[in-house]
Amino acid sequence: MAIKFEQVSFQYPSFDGKNFSALENINLEISDKGEFITLIGETGSGKSTLVQHMNALLRPNTGSVTIYGIKIEKNTNKNKKIKLNPLRQKVGLVFQFPEYQLFEETVLKDIIFGPKNFGVKEDEAIKRAKEVIKHVGLTEDYLGRSPFNLSGGEQKRVSIAGILAMEPDILVLDEPTSGLDPKGRDALLELFTNIHKKLNKTIIIITHDMNTVYKYASRVVVMHDAKLVYDGLPNMLFMDENIEKWNLDLPDIIGITKQLEAKLDITFTKKPHNVNELFELMKGVL
Amino acid sequence: MKNIIVGQYIPGKSFLYKMDPRSKILALFILMVSAFVFKDITHIIYMLLGVLVILKIGGIPIMRIARGLRPIMILLLFTFTFQVLFIKTGPVILDTVLTLTTINIGIMILAIVVWYYTRRYIKSKFFYMVLVIVGILTMLSLFTPGTVISSSNLTIYEDGLLGASFIMVRLIIIVTLSTILTLTTKPTDLNLGLERILKPLNLVKINSEEIALIISIALRYIPTLLDEANKIMLAQASRGVDFTEGKFKDKVMQIISLLVPMFIISFKRSDDLANAMEARSFVPGNKRTRIHILSWQSRDTLVIVFCLLVLTATVVVRVYL
Amino acid sequence: MNIIEITDLSFSYREDVDALHNVNLTIKKGEWISVLGHNGSGKSTLAKLIIGLLKADSGDIFVDGILLTEETVHEIRRKIGIVFQNPDNQFVGVTVEDDIAFGMENLNFDRLDMIKKIDEFSKKVNMNEYLKKEPHELSGGQKQRVAIAGILAMDTDIIIFDEATAMLDPKGRESIMEYIRELNKEGKTIITITHDMKEAVNSDRIIILKDGEVLAIGETNTILNDKETLNASNLELLLPLKLLYKLDEANIKNEKVKDILWQLSLNK
Repeated sequence: MAIKFEQVSFQYPSFDGKNFSALENINLEISDKGEFITLIGETGSGKSTLVQHMNALLRPNTGSVTIYGIKIEKNTNKNKKIKLNPLRQKVGLVFQFPEYQLFEETVLKDIIFGPKNFGVKEDEAIKRAKEVIKHVGLTEDYLGRSPFNLSGGEQKRVSIAGILAMEPDILVLDEPTSGLDPKGRDALLELFTNIHKKLNKTIIIITHDMNTVYKYASRVVVMHDAKLVYDGLPNMLFMDENIEKWNLDLPDIIGITKQLEAKLDITFTKKPHNVNELFELMKGVL
Repeated sequence: MKNIIVGQYIPGKSFLYKMDPRSKILALFILMVSAFVFKDITHIIYMLLGVLVILKIGGIPIMRIARGLRPIMILLLFTFTFQVLFIKTGPVILDTVLTLTTINIGIMILAIVVWYYTRRYIKSKFFYMVLVIVGILTMLSLFTPGTVISSSNLTIYEDGLLGASFIMVRLIIIVTLSTILTLTTKPTDLNLGLERILKPLNLVKINSEEIALIISIALRYIPTLLDEANKIMLAQASRGVDFTEGKFKDKVMQIISLLVPMFIISFKRSDDLANAMEARSFVPGNKRTRIHILSWQSRDTLVIVFCLLVLTATVVVRVYL
Repeated sequence: MNIIEITDLSFSYREDVDALHNVNLTIKKGEWISVLGHNGSGKSTLAKLIIGLLKADSGDIFVDGILLTEETVHEIRRKIGIVFQNPDNQFVGVTVEDDIAFGMENLNFDRLDMIKKIDEFSKKVNMNEYLKKEPHELSGGQKQRVAIAGILAMDTDIIIFDEATAMLDPKGRESIMEYIRELNKEGKTIITITHDMKEAVNSDRIIILKDGEVLAIGETNTILNDKETLNASNLELLLPLKLLYKLDEANIKNEKVKDILWQLSLNK
């Protein structure tokens, strides 16, 4: 296993003494052999805190996170022999807002910033930059431009390219599609699917969009009130009766299918995964 | 979710909390002037006692004040040493020769090393340090076996000691008084109080209301910006920036990688905020009514009268005694 | 009666490209109109022009019969409230109470009146228990509700929601949509700006912008039935609508099913 959480709990300290519990007793295993995981749950349920443990930005208060064989516990950092930095090359984390990381004069310089920090030679880093800029659906012309003159969607792509250029085995993205319009969102999700399939990397996405979960994920992890309450297949999740308790919506296709079945008082022979399948099923009934 | 407190305000119920911020600021000002009028060490010690009484009645834990004094401890110590060494009038109270010898220099270094590694286990670090310094000085003066390396005279005069103590007490009074103000007044109330007190400055074209609005927006955005800075740091750490190590050149790069996003985001923010304010009919320089008003009560008048009496008394003491 | 009239409005940030080109639009009093468009279609620019945060290159905007100029902009802003996208960047006050008061303070409301209104409108958006809270203690949805209360307190006739739900989670989004529906029922003229068709289906009319130009404008029912236009709009079709179009293409005429799908499209 590339990442293993064992009974991990984490609290944010607070000045008034009441600590805010963000993770409670989390057990989770993630492999780097091409998983496509979506991480869902309400705002404040601990999703972002969870992913920040995956590349050792945070250390658990109790329990341990093992990343590529290196065990991280509460006091790990005090022992300077253990270097946390190299782990961040293996598990690339892209934050929600590209504004948090873009700072160089050109897109090229920004993309090679990460690899160079991990000791990659400049010419090798540039070679990688030319490669990854295509992976994120932009052209080489962008490399010479300033990251601050790009549209929101393009900035997001550049920020992802900056992490991809580090050549991580696992790519973690915190709400990558928020704020994008449907076209931009779909393009980005297609891109992740490509990275997932072609480069055989594990992708972990935090999202609020159940359609994304249903359409793309091979595995879904649900957080609720700092606890991990579900870890399994998306299909099964949306049949779980707890889904309302966890404040999760149904994907459009499932919701509409259910409503159609109820209003027409019929049961379709199978569960459609997209609008075409649903249409075919309806044609059969009508 | 996360709880960030701006300023030092701690909630409480004593009369200090019920006072109008204006009267508190004025009282602070008057008492500070009084502290500067005094010339005599005994008088200022009486004033210190008075301040302690205020703390007691106001229900402010003395440890909070001590914590407020901590950052200026070094300054206090420096001023004290300076005064003691360089005022050379009045009767001599200590005259000794400090001698550095091959043996006691070793003990001195040993003491410093022991102090350095044990200080983290001692609760009151400041007194521990003073104790070590006094100990070393005593040794240099009394315990001098071995070959002499160098020696110098240490002479302390009464005026030096008194003068040093006087300045120290005065500084402690001033810091304590201002800490009382910040501990018992919310930053927003303090801001409002300052705005009202500075209102006469409008005559010389300084708009106190605008300054107050700027301060209040700054207060509102400090937690947001801190949170943002933290996230930027994590984002850059995810790209391999190791903030715990690196050579000078790396350090510069690390700081740039934090500052540039910080600036860009803040510019965007201020742009959005300006739009939001304008859209809600804000026009710089226009008159605004206010939801918060300050109410000056008889207790405030009483406090100010009392402070003025203190000031008068100090002037009388200064002139006639 | 038309509360907003926009004629031949054009605006550009840079010289070579128009962010908005020749927009004509009239909005009736009490109407709810949705401005739909993809990212960069010019929809937020339109909002900023209406409240005078940007100055049009050409064309006129009338609000309640008054032509928007530098002299009248303050008068016009008293008639229009706007909730922006980023909840954090429009929260001016140190506390919830201060923020609701901000607009009223600018308009020189009497203090006692302000206190009454803060009470009334914080209750209306269900934030009355948070009056002394500071923004970093609130969720995005709660901050947007505070913004709504601040606008209601200023008692503007028109409220613009400029992608006010875009940065919220589904729960926060639904609560804001709920308030929008309610405010419209109470007689406010509402303009919602969004790229999400789900948020537009309950409005009276829809205007679709594409690359700075008006692609279509009309009654919501008409627009939703206009397959060609919607396909050209770069927007995502609602799933029941897609089905409806497919049934049409396959020439299946089952009125009952069509009616159900139509109702589902309208979120009913």
